[in-house]
Amino acid sequence: MLSKISRYWCCQICGWGMFALINIFFAYTYDKTISEKLIIRLLIALSLGIPITHILRNVIIKRNWLVLPIEKIVPRLFICIIIASFIYSLSLLTFFELFNLSETDPKKKVAFINKLVLRTFDSSLILMVWVLIYYVYHFFQKNKKQEVDTFRLQSLVKELELKTIKSHINPHFIFNSLNSIRALVDENPQRARRAITELSNILRSSMQTEKMETVPLEQELNIVRDYLALEQMRFEERLKVQFNIDEDTLCQPIPPMMLQTLAENAIKHGISKQVNGGVVTIISDFVDGHHEIIIRNSGFLNGRAGHMGFGLQSTQDRLNLLFGTKATFEIKDIPGNMVEAKVIMPVNNR
Amino acid sequence: MTKRAIIIDDERLARSELKKLLQDHPEIEVIAEAANANEGIEKIGNMAPDLIFLDIQMPGKTGFDLLTELDRLPQVIFTTAYDEYALKAFEVNALDYLLKPVEPRRLADALHKLEYIEEKEALGTSLSPQTVNRGILGENDQVFVKDGERCWFVKLNEIRLFESVGNYAKVFFSTHKPLILKSLNALEERLDEKVFFRANRKHIVNLRMIERVEPYFNGGLLLEIKGGEKIEVSRRQAVKFKEMMSL
Repeated sequence: MLSKISRYWCCQICGWGMFALINIFFAYTYDKTISEKLIIRLLIALSLGIPITHILRNVIIKRNWLVLPIEKIVPRLFICIIIASFIYSLSLLTFFELFNLSETDPKKKVAFINKLVLRTFDSSLILMVWVLIYYVYHFFQKNKKQEVDTFRLQSLVKELELKTIKSHINPHFIFNSLNSIRALVDENPQRARRAITELSNILRSSMQTEKMETVPLEQELNIVRDYLALEQMRFEERLKVQFNIDEDTLCQPIPPMMLQTLAENAIKHGISKQVNGGVVTIISDFVDGHHEIIIRNSGFLNGRAGHMGFGLQSTQDRLNLLFGTKATFEIKDIPGNMVEAKVIMPVNNR
Repeated sequence: MTKRAIIIDDERLARSELKKLLQDHPEIEVIAEAANANEGIEKIGNMAPDLIFLDIQMPGKTGFDLLTELDRLPQVIFTTAYDEYALKAFEVNALDYLLKPVEPRRLADALHKLEYIEEKEALGTSLSPQTVNRGILGENDQVFVKDGERCWFVKLNEIRLFESVGNYAKVFFSTHKPLILKSLNALEERLDEKVFFRANRKHIVNLRMIERVEPYFNGGLLLEIKGGEKIEVSRRQAVKFKEMMSL
């Protein structure tokens, strides 16, 4: 901020210094002398010009004129410049009269009003140059910032994409499942065959759904059923699963892999941490004109309520993107050593 | 010589799969299985296996937690579905780890390595049978140390100093000084007094790591240890120290 301010003042001083130098230069070439009067006049002009342009800048910033479209700025600025130059000229000439610094020959009496009009016209040209420089500078600044912002946004999108793809299927889960399947090949070939089907269903749908915005609940539930069946194969009697689904909600749209992420969360942070395992319950119903999905699991939040992990955070973000403020997501401890994740979404009547 | 092994994993199928793989290695006899860390600690205590196959992620306590609670460490082979990179984060210098599903050749390699290390150690030192029976740790015995996320297997002969910090003991080895939840008195009982000397109320020193001995106030001594630490020996212990060191 400090460097920005000082850069502005740097330009201010350089600009007005230039103005003074040009004046001196012309006076010197015409009159061959630099009178004391001229120096004093210039000093007064500078000490009036700098505050007036500074006020002009404050007006531009306060009213946010930097972001207005050009057809709206031009008339406003024009009026502003006329008013500013009038005030500037009026005060300047008043000073000149008071201290008897008038530049014109005292013998040729010119009416004050004429001088004022001339001076106003004169100084409005100077102010226009000032405003032009001010706007050009900001135009380039804005362009540069936009470029940086776009670049940053692009990398953020990439990162998010990568993270979501990764978060969809946990490699840890795949390897554990494969290990269990290998054990089952001898022990229970039927179950092993079924497990391979379930695993390939999950892998396939996780690849397909990435491109879609929403999927019907039914499709997502199929994945989750397969997923939980595989986890049951691993955890055996330690994992119990309950579904409580209102059939009318089956065609409701939900973000793909959302339910899957929440189910994985329930296993990873809930069941797998309990020596004696527990229950995962999945509920889908219409409540108060909303579509409500609840995932309950045995366990505790353990202070995780404050900062969500990536899975929960992405669930929240995706709901916001799809439904805006019409959807809510919360996760909390409930009585009976359970954790409950609740998603409320608007009903789609199509 | 067959090795007696315990498999510790919370998934029954994972245990049965590993058992099946071990059928190709008659030198390993699986004497028990445990489904969680507490069960594992109990069985290790009762059966004193030569080797454990240990899963890292388990409900309640992790495999690392289990190791920190053991007094005498058997040889450890980790089994995990984590990838190698995730494992490296723990900085465990474990004997070996197997990624699930376990490749039979990797298992054979790990068991080979175990045998090799054993032979090398057998040549290097001769453990008197009495020390083993008394439950005293030999120089080549390892302790497992966990400090936050980082873990180490440390050989006793690499440790130069134990320092008492409340209920904990600070273990000095190479450049690390992690804390373990053991009192200095409990440690002293299990350490070989020919190697580890109680210098004062707060310190146990590895005698092989002493660089210099200087006289100190009140007939005490000041020991300078290889890492640069200076430890005071109380007057009473100084008498004992001189006795031990003199011919």
